[in-house]
Amino acid sequence: MVDALARRAARIPGVAYLLVALVLVFSILTPRFASAPNLFNIGTQSAILLLLALPMTFIIMTEGLDLSMGAVLGLAGVVLAMLLVNGSALPLALAAALGVGLLFGAANGLLVVILGMPPFVATLGTLGIAQGIALAATGGQSVVGIGNTLPSLYASSWLGLPFSVVVGAAGYAVFHFVLYYTRFGNYVFAIGGNREALMLAGVRSRWYHLSIYSLGGLMAGFDALLLTGRMSAGHPIAAMGMEFDAIAAVVVGGTERQRGNGWLPGTVLGVLSVGVLKNGLNVLAVPSSLQVASIGLLLITALLIDSIRRAK
Amino acid sequence: MHRLMSSMSSGAVSGQVKSAPTAPLLEMRGISKTFPGVRALDDVSLEAYAGEVHMLLGQNGAGKSTLIKILCGAYRPDRGEFLVDGRPASIASTADARRLGVAVIFQEFSLVPYLDIAQNIFLGREFRSRIPGVIDRGRMHREAQRTLAILGVDLDTRLRIHQLGVAQQQMVEIAKALSQNARILVMDEPTAALSDREIERLFEQIRKLKQEGIAIIYISHRMGEVFALGDRITLLRDGRKVASMRPADTTMDALVRMMAGREVSTTYRRGFCENPGEVAIEARALESANGVRGANLVVRAREIVGLAGLVGAGRTELARALFGADRITGGALRLYGAAVANNPAASVRGGMGLVPENRKAEGLALGRSVQDNILVAGLHRLFPNRWYQFRKAHRAAADLIARLSVATPSPRRLAKFLSGGNQQKVVIGKWFNAGSRVFIFDEPTRGIDVAAKAEIYNIMEKLVADGAAVLVISSELPEIVAVCDRAYVMRDKTIVGELSRAELTEENILKLAMHDG
Repeated sequence: MVDALARRAARIPGVAYLLVALVLVFSILTPRFASAPNLFNIGTQSAILLLLALPMTFIIMTEGLDLSMGAVLGLAGVVLAMLLVNGSALPLALAAALGVGLLFGAANGLLVVILGMPPFVATLGTLGIAQGIALAATGGQSVVGIGNTLPSLYASSWLGLPFSVVVGAAGYAVFHFVLYYTRFGNYVFAIGGNREALMLAGVRSRWYHLSIYSLGGLMAGFDALLLTGRMSAGHPIAAMGMEFDAIAAVVVGGTERQRGNGWLPGTVLGVLSVGVLKNGLNVLAVPSSLQVASIGLLLITALLIDSIRRAK
Repeated sequence: MHRLMSSMSSGAVSGQVKSAPTAPLLEMRGISKTFPGVRALDDVSLEAYAGEVHMLLGQNGAGKSTLIKILCGAYRPDRGEFLVDGRPASIASTADARRLGVAVIFQEFSLVPYLDIAQNIFLGREFRSRIPGVIDRGRMHREAQRTLAILGVDLDTRLRIHQLGVAQQQMVEIAKALSQNARILVMDEPTAALSDREIERLFEQIRKLKQEGIAIIYISHRMGEVFALGDRITLLRDGRKVASMRPADTTMDALVRMMAGREVSTTYRRGFCENPGEVAIEARALESANGVRGANLVVRAREIVGLAGLVGAGRTELARALFGADRITGGALRLYGAAVANNPAASVRGGMGLVPENRKAEGLALGRSVQDNILVAGLHRLFPNRWYQFRKAHRAAADLIARLSVATPSPRRLAKFLSGGNQQKVVIGKWFNAGSRVFIFDEPTRGIDVAAKAEIYNIMEKLVADGAAVLVISSELPEIVAVCDRAYVMRDKTIVGELSRAELTEENILKLAMHDG
């Protein structure tokens, strides 16, 4: 009985303990943390990060990296907001944001998969380009006056849940289905785990590999809907650095860069850990510079827990 | 697999006595293949008959792997033809080979660690459901279960590969090959990683496959298997076919003799060591984290000791453990009678130098100059006060380059522009500069030309003449026989025997290196 429990406990990944510990600590430190409005707040913040972390899981599983996601999200948000300011309908503006995202994602894929550039360098390059365009287009200013459609959509609630949480959950459901029930999902595991075997099986693995990067860009474009809705404005550097939170969330969640070992539920736990940590420190009024350091600490702690448990 | 299934369901398999096969299922005729500088295969022919196991034997580098890569379409032969079912066939790509029913189980598994068994068996050939892109998982698991059942393997197809042992992974590989409608199954040392019980089970499956009328080409280093399993034997040596025969017509001794066979044309050494000096390396019951178990070895000053064995026997692992590059977990290691800390820095301080097998990855910084490379291991000796002095460095490098006669226009030349032989001299020079007295050479002459080889042997000879101790790992048996004063032979990650100068012949090495059980 005890043995069975211990075995079951051993299978729970480190990130789950971490999340529970964080929630407990913050609940004890401040009563405001566990209040309903604050929990909703964590949910809406996390949804934006989750939409980046989901494709980032695929990319990291396939021994890749996408540093451009935050910048592409920022640019897509600016495009979305500018079109709304000019009176475009929301679907059209969203389509444009998706197009921008897809363009950058495909460019990343082209550079990494077809031209064989290291993902770190290639996506650092596209990061700069996306950010530069966003800053040039806006002059570094916020794009305001986007009308009421998007903000009111964002403020709506479905089944008692905030719009962004519903979108985040739907996004997760789609990615979960894709990863575990489709051919594409199988090939994501295979590109990370044994690319040679996939090629020998006659699969156009490079096309799938390129699609993974494209998907990352597309999701960054889509995420502009939530980000812009949340701020009721487009801002060129609103999502700066969010790719690092996304990478941290994925890695904290137990996905490895080797052997194609990805775990999508872990990514959700990782995103929530990042969300809880940032929010809790905010509630405690910890300076934001220290919050950045805390994400690093979280990352190292999660990896440490897993490596200690593995060593046993 | 579908062919396999249908024959199962029609009940045509069990109990039926197959008549002796007449025409071979597969014929490879006059296959030749040359790589730059190496004649890998020269006019080799091979037939595989339905329901037979054809054992392919040969030393390291005899051409077995090249032949198999040609058969599966990974390489294209320079000359030669294929016949399948007696009709000429073309194998220009892996897809062609698959279409003709050729499936290869390589030693490195072609499995995806985090997909489950069913997903791996049908990788790239997933069953599709009515929704585009979505996999029919239920059907895939059912089919996978059935394929495994035919092999007599009871495994939950929902288990992922990383959860399986090596033997189980091997079974999944076989199932994957069979499910591709394979008629010609190639197995490259399938038992290398298996325990005795697992081997017995694998043999049962192979006998079943024979009954199914599948032609099997089986590469092995274990003599026992050749006689337990083989219906036909083909022996390769130096890229040529030596002989084909039935197991009943030969003996183990005869096979070993034929495999060795190469006449030793030249003895490189003028004089062998008559009076070895003090003990330089002494390993007792050495165990290491990389798998070496219970290895005993002594190397004395002034002697060249060989370390022979087949690929995978654990020679490089032992060398790395001796050098401290991999962790020692048991036993004792002494360097000139003193215990050494288990790390490369301590080994180098103690006078040891390792010339690694993969000199480009482990021996050199290719993008740095000859001077930087040749000095790197001895900087602490050269500059005891820790300041780098350009002139002194240049002089020291020039001196080493002259002593080893490295052909380079200048010490500033980048290491990557040197020929293989000269690169090797730079790696050796590194240890000269470090003041090493114990040298471990891992495949020192691999990939370098004959003239450079002779120079490397000369360097070794000078080393021992100056009182150094040398341990040489080589897969080339003539090299071991010609260069070494004595040799140890490894098998299954341990030392299984020692051969004195008088006993040191290729045949004796092979006898120890191959499995006789």
